[in-house]
Amino acid sequence: MLGGRMASPDLFLELRNISKRFPGVVANDKISLAVPTGEIHALVGENGAGKSTLMKILYGLYQPDEGEIMVRGAPVRIAGPRRALELGIGMVHQHFMLIPVFTVAENVILGSEPGRRARLDTARAIEQIELVTRQYEFDLNPRELVANLSVGEQQRVEIIKVLYRGAELLILDEPTAVLVPQEVEELFANLRRLRDQGKTIIFISHILDEVLAIADRVTVLRRGRVVGTVPSVETTKGQLAEMMVGRPVLLQVTRPEITPGEVRLAVEELVVRGAHGRPVVRDITLSVRRGEIYGIAGVQGNGQTELVEAIVGLRPIASGTVRVDGNDVTRVGTRRVRLAGLAHIPEDRHHRGLALPMQVRENLVLGHHRRGLFTNGPLLDLAEIEAFARERIRDYDIRSPATTTPALALSGGNQQKVIVAREFAFAPGVLLAAHPTRGLDVGATEFVWRQLMGAMAQGMAVLLVSADLDEILSLSDRIGVMYRGELVAELFPGEATPQELGLYMTGTKRAPTEQAAG
Amino acid sequence: MSSSTRFFFLQAGALGLAILFGALAGSVILLAINENPLEIYPLIVRFNLARIDSVAAIFYRATPLILAGLATALAFRANLFNIGVEGQAYVGAVAAAFVGFAVGGLPRLVHLPLTILAGMLAGMLWALLPIVLKLRRGAHEVITTIMMNAIAGALVLYLLEPGLLRDPAQAGTPRVRTPDILPSALMPLLHPALSAIGLEIPGSSRLNWFLPLGMALCVFFFWVLRRWRFGFEVRAVAHNPSAAEAAGISTQRVQFLIFLLSGGVAGMVGLSDTLAFFGYFDIDFPKGYGFLGISIALLAKNNPLGVVAAALFIAFLDRGAQGVQVFAGAPREVITILQGLIILAIVVGYELLTRYIRVQLKREAQIAPPLAPALAATGEGGE
Amino acid sequence: MDLLLTLASAALLASAIRLTVPILLAALGAVFSERGGVVNIGLEGMMIMGTFWGAAVTHFVARGFPGLVAAAPDLAPLAGMLAAMLMGVLFALLHALVTITFRVDQIISGVTINLLAAGLARFLNIIFFRVATQSPGVGGFTAIDIPLLDRIPWLAPLVTGTSPVIPAAIALVVVGQWVLRRTRFGLRLRSVGEHPLAADTLGVNVILMRYLGVLISGALAGLAGGYLAIEQGRGYLEGMTQGRGFIALAAMIFGNWWPLGALGASALFGYFDAFSLRVVNLRVPYQFITVLPHIATILVLAGFVRRAQMPAADGIPYSKEEE
Repeated sequence: MLGGRMASPDLFLELRNISKRFPGVVANDKISLAVPTGEIHALVGENGAGKSTLMKILYGLYQPDEGEIMVRGAPVRIAGPRRALELGIGMVHQHFMLIPVFTVAENVILGSEPGRRARLDTARAIEQIELVTRQYEFDLNPRELVANLSVGEQQRVEIIKVLYRGAELLILDEPTAVLVPQEVEELFANLRRLRDQGKTIIFISHILDEVLAIADRVTVLRRGRVVGTVPSVETTKGQLAEMMVGRPVLLQVTRPEITPGEVRLAVEELVVRGAHGRPVVRDITLSVRRGEIYGIAGVQGNGQTELVEAIVGLRPIASGTVRVDGNDVTRVGTRRVRLAGLAHIPEDRHHRGLALPMQVRENLVLGHHRRGLFTNGPLLDLAEIEAFARERIRDYDIRSPATTTPALALSGGNQQKVIVAREFAFAPGVLLAAHPTRGLDVGATEFVWRQLMGAMAQGMAVLLVSADLDEILSLSDRIGVMYRGELVAELFPGEATPQELGLYMTGTKRAPTEQAAG
Repeated sequence: MSSSTRFFFLQAGALGLAILFGALAGSVILLAINENPLEIYPLIVRFNLARIDSVAAIFYRATPLILAGLATALAFRANLFNIGVEGQAYVGAVAAAFVGFAVGGLPRLVHLPLTILAGMLAGMLWALLPIVLKLRRGAHEVITTIMMNAIAGALVLYLLEPGLLRDPAQAGTPRVRTPDILPSALMPLLHPALSAIGLEIPGSSRLNWFLPLGMALCVFFFWVLRRWRFGFEVRAVAHNPSAAEAAGISTQRVQFLIFLLSGGVAGMVGLSDTLAFFGYFDIDFPKGYGFLGISIALLAKNNPLGVVAAALFIAFLDRGAQGVQVFAGAPREVITILQGLIILAIVVGYELLTRYIRVQLKREAQIAPPLAPALAATGEGGE
Repeated sequence: MDLLLTLASAALLASAIRLTVPILLAALGAVFSERGGVVNIGLEGMMIMGTFWGAAVTHFVARGFPGLVAAAPDLAPLAGMLAAMLMGVLFALLHALVTITFRVDQIISGVTINLLAAGLARFLNIIFFRVATQSPGVGGFTAIDIPLLDRIPWLAPLVTGTSPVIPAAIALVVVGQWVLRRTRFGLRLRSVGEHPLAADTLGVNVILMRYLGVLISGALAGLAGGYLAIEQGRGYLEGMTQGRGFIALAAMIFGNWWPLGALGASALFGYFDAFSLRVVNLRVPYQFITVLPHIATILVLAGFVRRAQMPAADGIPYSKEEE
């Protein structure tokens, strides 16, 4: 085991030729990486480049098929998360691993609780946590329930969790995905402070501006392999992007010139109530015209999901109206909303989008299955369904071995294409697209964007909800910003910078909207 | 061999392994009570299959089990647990008996269907409260249906009080039963039809038309689930209720309907005994059909066609239990335990198999060439 | 007036307390199982095993060691209780294996376990006692007076001559509440019922915690059955659990998944149970009085489920592999 080269002592982590294979794919292919103590090292790559597999190996959730991991110069085997923590490796997950009904303190101490024998010593836990928050100048109340925290605060809990366990190496997985620009700056300040106090940080991202702003060095992965490692001061965004995709790309779409026509989707003074009767969508008024994309920006959890689901009829509307092409579809139920010409790409394809164990063709007609075309008395017309599925699979380039393959067998990108193909069928007048490209790689994203543009050119009205500001800015004709259930600003993409949008998204700034203007 | 054929054989293999496991575990129990499994198991087979009356008894026994299994499986198909088949069968049998003896002067062609309908409606009624409480109030149907079973027992006891449905002619005897059901409401036996195709079964057998009726219902629901729009919606609701909602399917409506259908089928479970064997409803009405129905649905993986086979298998074991008791002197409960173990093994087996198949499908989808547009239709896909 | 007096009579209340205990113990078990994220519909079957083995072992110890038992009469029921718990644990182990390790649907496993337990109890009773439905009568624990409380006159009928299992059960509730809220184990158990992946990433052994939760529930359900057979019924009778395992689940929900809450809810059901046994001279037919606890269970579920806060990952199998 110990044979071979000596590791240099000031390296905190070194990976030698790590490989990991899954059925049909090589996720990591001979990856080597060296991270010195006290460095912020960025790991960038597209979706599917192997970043998350590598991370899970470092955190002990997967075992590598080949290769060696050295921590502080000694070869180690990381059997599980507990072992990783013992080695000083802590992970800040992209999807927070927090228990909402527990307090901050309970979340932090879980798994390494202070106390004598069986008893929990909550007072001591709080003391210890306050020690950590003071040392790194974090603002956090350990007694608060996690359910009551903002996203940025929840992320701080995640960081405190690993620091509390004495982590020397922090792995942050896409930490900025859920944050607004202002929160990102605060996170970066915190990370620099941690580095200056001697911590080592691996920062996983695909947002190149942020990588260049925070990282000392950058390693680029592509298709499971290391393309190269470069100091961030010696590289540019374009260069990194080219390393990532292997060809120069510009993720920019050419927008067809269209003059928006009549209003196809009109939402007036919509109010939706949440679990405890509190309004989660407050008096929203907006309209989307023929040939227009209306983008909704906002930090996740500010009522976007509820807005979309209320329009589609999946959530009760407390007051207000929804019209599609002039027809009132308030509280008529999802089936009739859809019949009125509304299509919906849901935000989570596994939750609302697909019945995974069912066949691809069945998923392609889901929601269209009551159309006369597909029925024959009480029976389904399988021949028509098959023909329709084949046409969709061809037009949308869905990679599936057969029309009868269960949807669960497809890759994420192809599953999303199934939904897009289904929702674009039968020329809907209005499309609600919630995070339509989340989790897709560059190619698939481009594909979906092109479809959106094409549909818009044919007269569709699109309401686009996305957490990706770039997506909102490059696709939308108008942008509405949601904050705490309200539409706090309505602007044109030309007049908004990401920073400015961030101010609205955090509620720092408000602007007159359609409803305020009358 | 195509992958769907392969998966079918894997499934059959899992079933075989589970039965083998049950038989082995049963052997251990038999050895523990000083019985020789190598004598007992052949005894079961010989006792069951050597004589035509024994085979007829198995089919008679399977008749209510087919309906109980179908009722349970229907609810399972929409992710609902109808543990209340037992109680629904109970009230169904009483209601049918009531219509059977109280409504007179009708020709059989009207009276018998009416009697059966009464049983179905009573079963539906007994399923109504649990499903409404589930959909409106979130009360878990497992607990409410079990409670409804207990209440059904109380209700039936109450109805059999003197002055209500109790037969006044039995006054002074310990018999607690309804009056005799009129001949126009009794289900005819299968003997004439069977002898027409050359099968003579002994006169003592009560094999009746509920058997073909139950089988036909299984075939019908198999067809509905596979080919009807309603069946499509049931499957969508079972596999992902959220996505079904987003597609405009009312999961509440689907679950409500299928649960009532389940209750309706459950209401017929006791009718073979009531309308073709006893000819009245009595306090000693056979118990446990509902629970056997659960075993049958699990064995059949909720496939209505599988229900027929599973019910015959369970009836085979039950009949064998009698043989074990009479000829080997071992308690017939050995077979009950054997059934329990087989069911436990099969649910584990199916679960592991489902996961294995999922991995296989993903692997195949990744290495298979994309579907060529010119490819001929592949015909029916299966689950 | 008469009715009111009956409703609050000491005899009725004492009976209510006695009948609260089996529901309470099973409900406490359900709390531990579901706090860890495993629904245990098999509680009824584990109780059935408790009733049979409790009575059988008490009987055999009393008969097999007459000298020992003469010297310490509580030894036989104690052995019976331990056996009841052990068998509850054994069946819980089966449920844990099937649902946690093999990740079979928890309801299906529970239902199957109930079927198996009912068959096994019948079979064993025939093997041991030659009849299917009944064991010989057994003696219970020596009744005790609860010190201090027995001096309060109006409380005396309730706390004198009671089974020692009753104060033990109440103590178990208090201990259970403390364990869940204030101990390392309690925090970890609750974490795997709320967000097993989060707990796993912090090095909490999710599988172990869930097993422990289910095994504890089996022990308590076994104990509940043992109490029912040894203390309440003085022998095993087929079907004597009368669905109390399911009623206990309703009590757990009504008690919002906390031991103290389950205590309150179980007391309510115990009261109905006692009521159904005692009050027969009402205008309502007695058949319906006997199912009062069952009707109450339905009402409670219909009225309170929506308000209850159930553990977020309750009923969902955990696996590290991604789907």
